[in-house]
Amino acid sequence: MQIKEISSKLLSEKYYEIDHPSGLKIFVWPKEGYNSTYGIFGTPFGSIYNHFTVGDDEVRVPDGIAHYLEHKLFESEEGDAFTLYASTGANANAYTSFDKTCYLFSCTKNFHRCLEILLGFVTSPYFTPETVQKEQGIIGQEIKMYDDSPDWRVMFNMLRAMYKEHPVRIDIAGTVETIAEITADKLYTCYNSYYNLHNMALTVVGKVTVDEVLEICDKQLKPCENVRVESHFPSEPYEVCEHYVEQKLPVAMPIFNLGFKGSGDKRLTEKEIAYTDILLFLLASSVSPMYRELMDEGLINSTFSYEQFEGPGYNCILFGGESRDPKKVEQIVKKYIEKLRAEGISQEDFENARRATYGDALSSLNSVDTTANLTEDFYFSGRKVFDYFDAIASATTQDIMNRLSEVLDADNTTLSVITGG
Amino acid sequence: MNPIVRSEIARGVTFSYVSDNRFKTMRISATALLPLQAETVSAYALLSQVLTRSCAQYPDFTTLSKKLSSLYGAALEAGVRKLGEVLALTFSVSGIDDRYALSGESISEELSKLLCSVLFEPLLRDDAFDAEEVEQERRQLIDTADAELNDKRVYANNRLLELMCDGEPYGVRRYGSRDGIKAVTSSELYNTWKTMLSGATFEIIYVGDSSPEMAKGVFAEKFSSVQRELLPLGTTPVSAPENVRDFSDKMEVSQAKLLLGYRTSVAAPQTEVTAMRLMCAILGGSAHSKFFKNVREKQSLCYYCISRYHRVKGIMTVESGVESENIEKTKNAIMAELDAIRKGDITDDEINFAKLSVSNDFVSICDTVSGIGEWYLSQLGDGRLLSVEEAIADFNSVTKEQIVAVANKLTLDTVYVLKGNEEV
Repeated sequence: MQIKEISSKLLSEKYYEIDHPSGLKIFVWPKEGYNSTYGIFGTPFGSIYNHFTVGDDEVRVPDGIAHYLEHKLFESEEGDAFTLYASTGANANAYTSFDKTCYLFSCTKNFHRCLEILLGFVTSPYFTPETVQKEQGIIGQEIKMYDDSPDWRVMFNMLRAMYKEHPVRIDIAGTVETIAEITADKLYTCYNSYYNLHNMALTVVGKVTVDEVLEICDKQLKPCENVRVESHFPSEPYEVCEHYVEQKLPVAMPIFNLGFKGSGDKRLTEKEIAYTDILLFLLASSVSPMYRELMDEGLINSTFSYEQFEGPGYNCILFGGESRDPKKVEQIVKKYIEKLRAEGISQEDFENARRATYGDALSSLNSVDTTANLTEDFYFSGRKVFDYFDAIASATTQDIMNRLSEVLDADNTTLSVITGG
Repeated sequence: MNPIVRSEIARGVTFSYVSDNRFKTMRISATALLPLQAETVSAYALLSQVLTRSCAQYPDFTTLSKKLSSLYGAALEAGVRKLGEVLALTFSVSGIDDRYALSGESISEELSKLLCSVLFEPLLRDDAFDAEEVEQERRQLIDTADAELNDKRVYANNRLLELMCDGEPYGVRRYGSRDGIKAVTSSELYNTWKTMLSGATFEIIYVGDSSPEMAKGVFAEKFSSVQRELLPLGTTPVSAPENVRDFSDKMEVSQAKLLLGYRTSVAAPQTEVTAMRLMCAILGGSAHSKFFKNVREKQSLCYYCISRYHRVKGIMTVESGVESENIEKTKNAIMAELDAIRKGDITDDEINFAKLSVSNDFVSICDTVSGIGEWYLSQLGDGRLLSVEEAIADFNSVTKEQIVAVANKLTLDTVYVLKGNEEV
């Protein structure tokens, strides 16, 4: 078994990367002085994986099945995992995103038991027609709750308008109609294809040692065969599908997401992510001239935000918030992007942006849950956490200008708006 | 967690320090505690936003933001919330610890001074705040207050409290009303600022690895020049009316919201508060609660059904999102779970699991910088400050009999339903 120590002098942090004989990738990140331990066990199987080939079979599954599987995995023949966790005091949960499903706990004692429970239920599926049926009502209400959430709708409407083919355009939880097609057999097909230890990763952060984690993993995880599964994504044109989309919901003021679609051919590198973060700070943070103009014109408020959003086959940069005139916001954002391209970046502004981006990233390592989720996410994306920090620390103005030439194509945008009913 | 070191640096101004070297960041917060009143709440809320937007030294938000970004993206924030019928305005700065500065500068010193500047040296034009700065923040505060409509869970919770506590300070929203925010003038705001400095009880909390002496000295000096006359603070618990009050609103929503408001007859600083908190946790506080197991998992009625105890005010609220046709059924299911506790139908496991879960939450809170300050701030209405260990011991000493006894003190006051337009 290979145990690699990965350390960063800059951050005074280190973690261990382990290739477990069972096939599982394990990360252990001890945090001195912490009282809590956060464990997260994930698989790169999210809502976008609705078409795949396993063995000789080509399979298409209903929208929302990854999320449904997440709910149902908590149940076993003996009862549900929440009941098992109850005697540990741990806080347990799970989430499904576009590209992964993760099961997690946060505990302050009984760590051994918590990790046993986590590894146990995630590796023991138990689905029957009755248990699958029971979940329809619960997830149906979860879907309806999100249908009433304008922040959620504005984002999914944008993705649906931006992407013509790629399944990132589908709601993560599916719809009441698509989840009605889900059966125990279909859940087993997905489980047996993607929930394979060779495909998965476990990260434990906080009050923990490598030995403690390995003792439990060695006992509980049996070597398994590597299942070959091939995920299929339709080819997606570079251009957005629609430039504008609107929906009515009860909101006080229009809510918008403005997305700049990029090429999703390759996953972004640590450097590309870091440079984009610095670039977005320069362009759109509260120190920027763009933010100033939008504020002075009364076009945005404190809800204004920006982020890069990227995964297998999709990649975009988005700006969002509340505005009485989202179309005007779009014009101004595009104006400042062109201005930045034409005028370049001053050394002082760059230095502030680099520091702020570094400080922001650094503070994320304060918390065990952010550290663990970051580690898991970076691993599934083929990136390394410390390389991202190094890329921020060593960035130059030229790096940022080069990045700017690759992103934020003003002709390839989608504006999604929720207006008051 | 290291013990908290507290000292009074001026009349009604406490400076607390928790030394901690585990984190990448440090944080100082100054919380002003003021009486919650419909007439003044909007001015205080607006004041908190205006003060953190600019100050005499950094006269607009761009220069202030630039200063913060040069300090490695430090954050300067203002928060407004209700602690019972006390309005708490929290001003905070947080930034990376000096050890991680790329060129060896002292971030903590700069941030301490900055927090003092925004509180004591705002951007003034004679005896008023700068009118343009006020207008920008007014617009945004109105937006923020209006936006409470967007999240239907938040909206429904606000409506329940507003209706149930109509005429009581607790029914006032933390930003007040739209009209209230519109009416504040920049000279009134000046007086509001003066009143806050002279009349509010202040809790200043420093969490970090660097020495707090500099920050403590700066604050002590600033407060020494203020004539302090403390405004009285307090919360009045109220009993339920004879008949349950029913309210409903209609809106274009696909999921109905059902909320129940109870008067508990138990409020801080009474000792029974601990038993009531535990009762509330058993009822609907986690994935092991009666609501989760029975209303969600067994009956598949909802995705969420939770209970929350507002211990300073002495009320408990229950909320869920359901199909309209299931409103009555869910209400009955919720009441059946409470009745079960009242009759003593609670297992030892349920009690122990709730105790373990509460203890886990408490210990976890203190693994974050803001959580440490929060731990002490949240106890301000309790009349005593407990360490995490003391609070856990307090919870662990609660017996089944005590839980049943407090459950029997609850009286349903108000039922609020938010439902779709098409339904009757």
